[in-house]
Parts: sequence; C-alpha cells; structure tokens
Amino acid sequence: MAEGNAVRIAEDAHGPRADFDDIEVGRDLGSLEWTISVADIDKQCRIDEDYDPVFSLASTQGGRIAPPQIQYRPPRWLLSRNYNVRGVFYRWDFENLGPLKPDAPIKVSGRIVDKWIARGREYVSFEAVGTDADGREVFRTRRTHVLDVVTRDAPRGGRGLDSGVKSEKL
Amino acid sequence: MARLIDENVHLGTEFPSVSKQFNVEMFKIGDVLTLHNDQKAAELEGLPRPIAVAPQVAALIFRMMRMNFGNGWIVGGKGSLTFRRPVWSDDFATARGVVTGKMIEDDRVRVICDVWVERADGERAIVGTCSALVGSTARAA
Repeated sequence: MAEGNAVRIAEDAHGPRADFDDIEVGRDLGSLEWTISVADIDKQCRIDEDYDPVFSLASTQGGRIAPPQIQYRPPRWLLSRNYNVRGVFYRWDFENLGPLKPDAPIKVSGRIVDKWIARGREYVSFEAVGTDADGREVFRTRRTHVLDVVTRDAPRGGRGLDSGVKSEKL
Repeated sequence: MARLIDENVHLGTEFPSVSKQFNVEMFKIGDVLTLHNDQKAAELEGLPRPIAVAPQVAALIFRMMRMNFGNGWIVGGKGSLTFRRPVWSDDFATARGVVTGKMIEDDRVRVICDVWVERADGERAIVGTCSALVGSTARAA
C-alpha cells in the first residue's frame, strides 16, 4: 500500500516515466555498439575495488581484459532508450561467456521478455546479449527492474530529480 | 597469494568474506542528483534515504568470486542475484558464499555457490547463486 500522500513520480527531466501498460513484451530494444576503453577498465576496477593482474596488466588473451561486471550498463542504456524506467534493480542474471577486451567493439542487443505485477508493484524484465566482432557471444544477461518503489495504488504526479535515462558512459 | 578453488573443493566450503563501508560520496557523478546520492531525490521516489547502487553492492560478490576462482569466474562465471532489500548509501555490507554443488560441464567442473550480501544489521540484501569453472582445461582469461 502506498503510504500517506505518496505518489509515483510522473515525469523527470527526460520526459514522462514509462507506464506499465505501455511496456510491450517482446519489443526489440534495438542494439548499440560498445567499445570498452582502458580507462573504462581502470574506472570499473576503482569503483568496485576489484583488482586483478588480468584487469590491470595482461592476460593469456594477449592484453588486459575488463572485469566482467562492466557489462552492467550497456543493456540498461538499451532499456532507457525505449522506456524511462527509474525504479530500482530487482534481479540480475548473467553469464560471462568471453573475455571483454578493450578497444574491441561489442554489439549489444536486447528485448523485453516479461512484465508482471506482484505485491502491488510493477516489474519489467529484459534480456540482452553482447557479441564480439567475430559474432561470438561474450555475455548474456537478463534483468528485472521495479518501475516504482511506491506501490501502484498511488497516483502518478510530480517531477522527479532522478531519471531512468542516464548519459551513456561508464 | 591465496590458493584458488579447484575441482576437489568440498561442499559446504565457505569463502572468506568481502566487506565494504559505503558512503554517499561513492555515488556522486558530478552534480547529478540521484536517489543514490541525494536525500530529496530519494524521498521523491518513495525511499526514506539514498540507496547504494545495486551493481556496486553486487560487486562485493563478484570480487569474492574472482578471488576464489580467478579466470574460471572472469570467463565462464554465471550468476543469478535477487536484490531483496536495500543497502543504504552509508551502509556497511559484507558478501559471503558457500559451495553447494559441482557438476561436469564439457571437460570441466562447474562449482555452484550460494552467495549473499548482508547489511550491518544482518539483513540479507542480495541473495542468489553464482558458479564458476574449474579444472585444468578451464578457459584461461
């Protein structure tokens, strides 16, 4: 149940928030080309305090590779290009299938796979796959986001300071 | 250097934990106000206070898996995580894990683990499973 005068945010600087009814299961979220830089690897290691010689020095693949969790953001960008979902992250399934090398383009493609309502909140699930220039899958992921922290019995209203739409950089 | 997990690992083996003290400064990106770094932005979204960025909290699990499995996690790792409770932006959080299963995968062994992140109050904020490949033929990163 929504508490007090709680509302679900109606809009933010990037426009109206996505409405549950507008989310189309099966929708192709499109694709993007993503190239990891050495600076991106350094930043991911620093943010996560996750350092390993293969991230910072070299690997048997012939050079540095990125921490696999660096794949979080590009699929999220695909969702945000299609739907302004702020909410919170609920579930993360992933497979680290291949080394994520710097300066090598990765094609990231996604689609909406499900949506549902549970315990008064609205959920959307999407999946994405990353493939390298040779067509090999380097990661697969499936994500679930809750559209709003406030339950769906609350009306929409007001303008949020945050947004589901972010600058597309790590 | 700590020895990596191998195919002889016993079920029930617990990993050394990985902890982190978060603070709101960790979630600032220039002057952009988000529910991760600003009280008002969080309240507008229905939160009592800013919450930590979920992937940055999950990264405690990833670090734990990398420390225990090395290349068998970096290439070959899998995970399924549920974010069931918030970790606040100023929380202390700890990742823990225990080996629960092993299975043959091609000519390698996949080691399956229960993993979770608990807050200072003991609440399990993230729960799930992760797995990694071990064995002499595990794809090297």
